[in-house]
Amino acid sequence: MRVMVLIKANRDSEAGVMPSQKLLEDMGKYNEELVKAGVMLAGEGLHPTSKGKRVKFSGAKQSITDGPFAETKEVIAGFWIWKVKSMDEAVEWIKRCPNPTGEEAEIELRQVFEAEDFGAEFTPELREQEERLRREIERHNA
Amino acid sequence: MRVMMLLKADKNTEAGGTPSKEHLAEMGKLIEDMAKAGVLLAAEGLQPSSKGKRLRFSGGKITSVTDGPFTETKELIAGFCMIQANSWDEVMAWSERFAAVEGNGETELRPLFEASDFPEEVFPAEDAAREQALREELQRKAGKAATY
Repeated sequence: MRVMVLIKANRDSEAGVMPSQKLLEDMGKYNEELVKAGVMLAGEGLHPTSKGKRVKFSGAKQSITDGPFAETKEVIAGFWIWKVKSMDEAVEWIKRCPNPTGEEAEIELRQVFEAEDFGAEFTPELREQEERLRREIERHNA
Repeated sequence: MRVMMLLKADKNTEAGGTPSKEHLAEMGKLIEDMAKAGVLLAAEGLQPSSKGKRLRFSGGKITSVTDGPFTETKELIAGFCMIQANSWDEVMAWSERFAAVEGNGETELRPLFEASDFPEEVFPAEDAAREQALREELQRKAGKAATY
């Protein structure tokens, strides 16, 4: 199973306070362990919401709002995607994670949808299209 | 610039229903167009928060683990795509196409940190080079795996 690990924002990440060299080094080491174990598939950090936008859509109508967004605890500051055997394995890896913000922090673990989670609506043609796309993305990224 | 487009959850995504065949086909077409244009880096859907967990940290230790579901539906995410674009205008043009497929909802657009955003004194060149090597190793592994 694949799990998305969402790191919640806090006052510092939203204020644009950059991590210390120590935290960057600890995180770099942890990422290396994750990659060596074949657990890490992706991982990125996000700029504060002050550099982001929100788009609401309703039918054909759209409204666009520039950040920052006030509800700091509910926005995210970064993420990983891991390949693990179970949620418990993901929690075990989290236990070894350096505190991502250096202070109080919250992480949300969410299971990623796989092709087999969809029923007959995900037709063989659509599955084939998805496989083709994944290969094309890999080519672009290479 | 790389931008993460987060699709917010709603009652339907949290209820665990799967989308219709038509919706999957339309979304597949948009994602295919993004891939062909060379802007798509990744796209995934997340299972409802009822299958997820939340962990709190304090002082380097996990202090609580809570199983989903989480109630504040509007602040949860249901999926994301990551794109590489030259400008906000280009990002907004893809957002419009995304909105046309999704119909009703909310997305949050967030630029990603690049190594160059960190000052040299906290992220020295040798650390940046190690990160680059790690990214290359990830890509090699992804290329080898038949599926994720």
